[in-house]
Amino acid sequence: MTPFKLQIITPDGVFFDGMTDNVIVRTTVGDKGILAHHEPYVAAITISKFKVRIDGEFRYGAISSGIIKVGKDKTVILAQSCEWADEIDVDRAVKAREVAESRITEYSKANDQKNLDIAEFKLKRALNRIEAAKMK
Amino acid sequence: MATGNMKDIKRRIKSVGSTRQITKAMELVASSKLRKAKQRSESGRAYFETMYGLLSEIAAVKKDFSTIFTEAREVKHKLFIVIAGDRGLAGGFNSNILKAAAAAHAGDAEKPKIIAIGRKAVDYFDKHGYEVVAKYPYFAEKMKTAYCMDIAQLAVDLFAVGEVDEVQLFYTAFVSPLVQTPESAKLLPIANIGTGTGEDLGLITYDPSPEAVFDRVVPKFLMSMISCAVVESFASEQGARRTAMESATDNADEMIANLSLVYNRARQEKITNEITEIVSGANALG
Repeated sequence: MTPFKLQIITPDGVFFDGMTDNVIVRTTVGDKGILAHHEPYVAAITISKFKVRIDGEFRYGAISSGIIKVGKDKTVILAQSCEWADEIDVDRAVKAREVAESRITEYSKANDQKNLDIAEFKLKRALNRIEAAKMK
Repeated sequence: MATGNMKDIKRRIKSVGSTRQITKAMELVASSKLRKAKQRSESGRAYFETMYGLLSEIAAVKKDFSTIFTEAREVKHKLFIVIAGDRGLAGGFNSNILKAAAAAHAGDAEKPKIIAIGRKAVDYFDKHGYEVVAKYPYFAEKMKTAYCMDIAQLAVDLFAVGEVDEVQLFYTAFVSPLVQTPESAKLLPIANIGTGTGEDLGLITYDPSPEAVFDRVVPKFLMSMISCAVVESFASEQGARRTAMESATDNADEMIANLSLVYNRARQEKITNEITEIVSGANALG
């Protein structure tokens, strides 16, 4: 298939910059696959797994909320954080899940909606990373 | 010349010398931190620039475009996000930025709400009776961009519910290692978003709609803007400290040189005195 240029940029720097022929991400309105010559397109990405085909093989990763922008000459994914499945620190993710779970019970008892939302967000991220790590 | 005086001078030389050691060490620490901070600001730049480009493209698509974040309202309540340092001994760094923030609302009927970043900012606004809605002391050095999401979200929330009508950011721009200037930037409502990069603007599909995407981009945009400002302020703080400590070290060197001169003169005078005494003693005997 025709390759096209993909950049994944996070606040900590350029995470990926290379050629691919297929990217699949989960936007707020559903899964979206991008091939070469896609129409210009912008959507928000939720906390999810994504895959990129590089040299004929899919590479999996975890992304926590971002934006995808498909342009004429390249596709850019702006992610708050991004990791390849085989580089995820599973121990850390499991620990983060445990912390988030205990916070959720704590805050739901205290009826603290704001902190509850934050904890739920963190739990979602941790679960996403744990799941993504299994996909390597 | 008495020996007591010489002892005093010696003691002073020693104490200035140990102060000089401290200032020299601080200078070196500041310059290595400055180097790191510069690298950090480079790596965050790509994200910020792409984000800004995206935002301005969306804004350029629709001329009748308006969301809560672009509409200017009558400004009754302001929110200031002020970034200062965690420590002193950095020349005018802290006081300049705090003064700039204070001057910015000088004519207003009511004091702005404050989000204070850096211990010096927290202390200042607490002491001067501002309503500080959030405090982030000891934040800049170990900051990750994601941490700024909390700050951005708080600002967006306050703005969205109408508790504040304008959000301003105060930070210190890093012009060069020698020059740092306090700056302010209006974050919300978003104004003067440019006309984009001219890439077939009308044809982009926004899923589900430009407004929805825009509203999701805004907090992320603020986040990256705040994080850039924090990193830049941190670099400025280190630059200012380095300069201050450099001149302190130079001053110490000068003081030591002067004191050594005085000390040596006193020593010589004492020896001359002794010789004169011995010679006159010998003469008296002879």
